[in-house]
Amino acid sequence: MIININWEAFLTVFLAALGFTSLIVAFFSLGVRFLTDAQNLSAKARKGNTQAQQEEAFYMVGAYVTFAVCICALAYGIYLIIPFLPH
Amino acid sequence: MDPIFIVGLVVAIALFFDFTNGFHDTANAMATPIATGAMKPKVAVGIAALMNLVGAFLSTTVAKTISVDMINPDVKITAQLVFAGLTGAILWNLTTWFLGLPSSSSHALFGGLIGSTMAYFGAAGVNFTKMIEKVFIPALFAPLVAGVVAFTATKVAYLITARSQKERNAKEIGSGRTKFKVGQIFSSSLVALSHGTNDAQKTMGVITLVLVAGGVQASGDHVELWVVVSAALAIALGTYAGGWRIIKTLGSGLSEIRPAQGFAAEVSTGVTILASSKFGFALSTTQVASGSVIGVGLGRKGGVVRWGKAGQIFVGWLFTLPAAGLVGAGSAYLTMQGDWGLILDGVLTTAVALAIFTVSRRNKVSAANLHSEVETASEVVLTAKQIKAQEKAARKAAMKAKKKSKKKGKK
Repeated sequence: MIININWEAFLTVFLAALGFTSLIVAFFSLGVRFLTDAQNLSAKARKGNTQAQQEEAFYMVGAYVTFAVCICALAYGIYLIIPFLPH
Repeated sequence: MDPIFIVGLVVAIALFFDFTNGFHDTANAMATPIATGAMKPKVAVGIAALMNLVGAFLSTTVAKTISVDMINPDVKITAQLVFAGLTGAILWNLTTWFLGLPSSSSHALFGGLIGSTMAYFGAAGVNFTKMIEKVFIPALFAPLVAGVVAFTATKVAYLITARSQKERNAKEIGSGRTKFKVGQIFSSSLVALSHGTNDAQKTMGVITLVLVAGGVQASGDHVELWVVVSAALAIALGTYAGGWRIIKTLGSGLSEIRPAQGFAAEVSTGVTILASSKFGFALSTTQVASGSVIGVGLGRKGGVVRWGKAGQIFVGWLFTLPAAGLVGAGSAYLTMQGDWGLILDGVLTTAVALAIFTVSRRNKVSAANLHSEVETASEVVLTAKQIKAQEKAARKAAMKAKKKSKKKGKK
């Protein structure tokens, strides 16, 4: 019996899992950080501090962009595993 | 007996197996978000069912691992063989579930089918090369990968959301890590989706196998649409039905897992299973989820592994496949005796199922007997808090002992 195992598949699974998970978790964490920063500024911003208002907006945009990256990465990953879609 | 009748019987039993799989595994995906309050139980269970349904339609690669790769192509598979393998798997599954032994319904299924094939055709009947590549190695590899990935992801999440002491002093809001709860809505849905791409496939594989054996289908290299639809529906219904169980009995075991860890664990589990499904690796999804839970426990500062407990779980995993194989082989010998053997095997399985169902009904649902396996895995890692509590208790005991010995000395 010749055992011919496709080790490349295992390497691919490991790298894909590590890569996609790290990417998604890292960007989600960044989003969490930005969102928290924005919340920290919101009290000041509400009082009419323009610098705080600008920074708050910056952080909010940052948060939404990073969350969007997560969703895109996820969608791309799922697209990759569906065999009947063109690749 | 008419082979078509046996084919129909196997299809029905396989769908029931699929239903119980969903029923059993809802907790793996949804216990954490319900426990942390990220989702209302009803919503969580509904989403889990829907995601399993969708996942089952995404790919049939894992199904082909069973219907094409498992058994040697020169062997003439019979409907009796598949029947024996399936009943063997169910018998083993029900018994371990009843006794509270760690087990895996997926490995029970492989074990049952391999045992039955070996009973009919000897070791040559099983395509061991493919089995090693697509079942045995992934069984060890995938939980390990999930663990390493989950460990890394936890480190990343904590590193990115960490705040310096200065920042913490200046602002009222902390790290904001409770926001990961919202992320868990997505990550647990991902776990449910990946569950559909791997576990629902196993039923499709078995049904396709028996359709080929019964001559209904020419070859196992494609899965009929009605098979996909019925397997998807069965697992989704099972998931939905199983949800009510969790709602009633949400344990405290998972409460040691913080939202950031839960998110990291679920993304690791979901992605690892999805990537494995792509290559047709037929995994135990529970084992992958357990690997992730251990990984995130270690990823947080101060986590320590209880090797004894980890070893117990691991031995249970190793044991499942050969044990189910023996039961499968036993069922196969019964079916070889002719129609009465097949009927006896069916009656035996039904009787065991009914007996266990009645007894478990009587013992009412309690948190103790519905401990999910992933929760058990979460007990493998001691958190810093638990270690501190243990040390404190030990110190107290030591002090007491000292006082006692002093008193004795005075006397």
